[in-house]
Amino acid sequence: MINFEEELSHFKPSLEVEEVEDAIMDSDLTDMADIMMNLIKEGSKNKKSDE
Amino acid sequence: MSKPINYTDKCSRVSNAFYNAGLEKAQIRDLTGACRCLKRSLAFDKYNTNARNLLGLIYYEIGETAEALVQWVISSNLQQEHNRATYYIHEVQGKPGRLEDESVHIRRYNQALMQAQNDNPDLAILQLGRVVDHKPNFVKAHMLLALLYIGREDYAKAGKSLYKVLQIDKNNPRALWYMSFVKSHTGRADVEKRKLKNAFSHHQMQDDDIILPPSYKENTGWQMVLQIAAGLALGAAVIFFLVMPAREEQLNDSHNRELNDVLELVNQESIQIAGLQTALADMETERDAAVTDLQAIVDENGGVLSQYQQLVHILRAYKADDFPTAVELYTELDPEAIEDEGMQTVIAEIRRDMEERGYQVLADLGNQARDAGDADRALGYYQKSLAVKPDNPQVIYDMAMVYHGREEEDQANELFGQVIMNYPDTELAAKAKDARGY
Repeated sequence: MINFEEELSHFKPSLEVEEVEDAIMDSDLTDMADIMMNLIKEGSKNKKSDE
Repeated sequence: MSKPINYTDKCSRVSNAFYNAGLEKAQIRDLTGACRCLKRSLAFDKYNTNARNLLGLIYYEIGETAEALVQWVISSNLQQEHNRATYYIHEVQGKPGRLEDESVHIRRYNQALMQAQNDNPDLAILQLGRVVDHKPNFVKAHMLLALLYIGREDYAKAGKSLYKVLQIDKNNPRALWYMSFVKSHTGRADVEKRKLKNAFSHHQMQDDDIILPPSYKENTGWQMVLQIAAGLALGAAVIFFLVMPAREEQLNDSHNRELNDVLELVNQESIQIAGLQTALADMETERDAAVTDLQAIVDENGGVLSQYQQLVHILRAYKADDFPTAVELYTELDPEAIEDEGMQTVIAEIRRDMEERGYQVLADLGNQARDAGDADRALGYYQKSLAVKPDNPQVIYDMAMVYHGREEEDQANELFGQVIMNYPDTELAAKAKDARGY
């Protein structure tokens, strides 16, 4: 059974053309490679500090 | 240093794997699934330009133009050369007014969403109707419209919107869910279930089993009504084009026969009327003749009846021995009007007596009147005397003298001329000559 109110609440406003620039600026472009690189950097940094 | 490179390669390979999966889904129009794969692909490698460009294309296909632009702009920034995203951006932004139109429709959708969420679904439906008219691939708008129709229990219209969504994005899970709900309320689900059951049944065919052709369609209530209406229309057409002309012709023949009978009757009556009119005219002619005859009989002046009366008066004067009165009455008698032979005998005797004695009585009366100075009366008597006996020169002469005395010389000379011409050797002729001055 469809709950009309609940379904309606799932709908979000569509991104407007004027908001494209802000959307690009706010985009989180971090990918798995960045995360891995950060982890590796932190790991090597911790290793150096332990030594 | 080798480890990070390996991780990067691994991430790139995973990203490519997701991209391939996304591409396959996009090719079979599972856009929601493709979108999910491509987002995962980019999560592993943000530099996967193909994945980002395809994601932008999918956004563009489902009507999210701004989202598409976001992906294409990021893509063109991350890879500035040999990037298809540049072409896409140029295509969207290059045509004047196109981006503005897209912006208007997206804004209108957002307004409709706000109206729907603020308990104003009627306005929202109006707005969304306009949006999908101009932007028929806007999946979100179709979905919201379908939901609003479902809310109003207008399942047919909701089904139409959902059908369009599923044409664009075949595996849209929410659209599929809505559609199953709509079908369960329109009876379409049962029909499809029966079709599936028949299509995949493997039972042994029996003699009385019927194989339905693929073109066969299950009739719904409306289809039944339409078929009945079409049958009625066809029946009406058959009656109108086949039965009615024959019936009309039959009726026309019958009416023509009746009309001919009536016309014949009218003709016969007309002939009878013409005969009666002729008879009436004859009768009227006869009546007029009878009236004329009757008028002639009863007419006071010269009528037959009055002549008989006149004759009676004459005889009465004779009986009274009043001869002068009888003479005067005789001058007014028209003997020709009395045709009775017995009366004619009496009239003949009277005429003979008048020619012997009566003319002289009238002449004497004329002389008496002349002597009394009554010239008119004298002339009247003279004329009556001449009427009884025209061959009487004395009376003609006396009349001429009366005219002469009244200085009516024309009449006098004419009468003198008669005396001179008709009685030349008489004394009166000589007197007449003297009177005329010969």
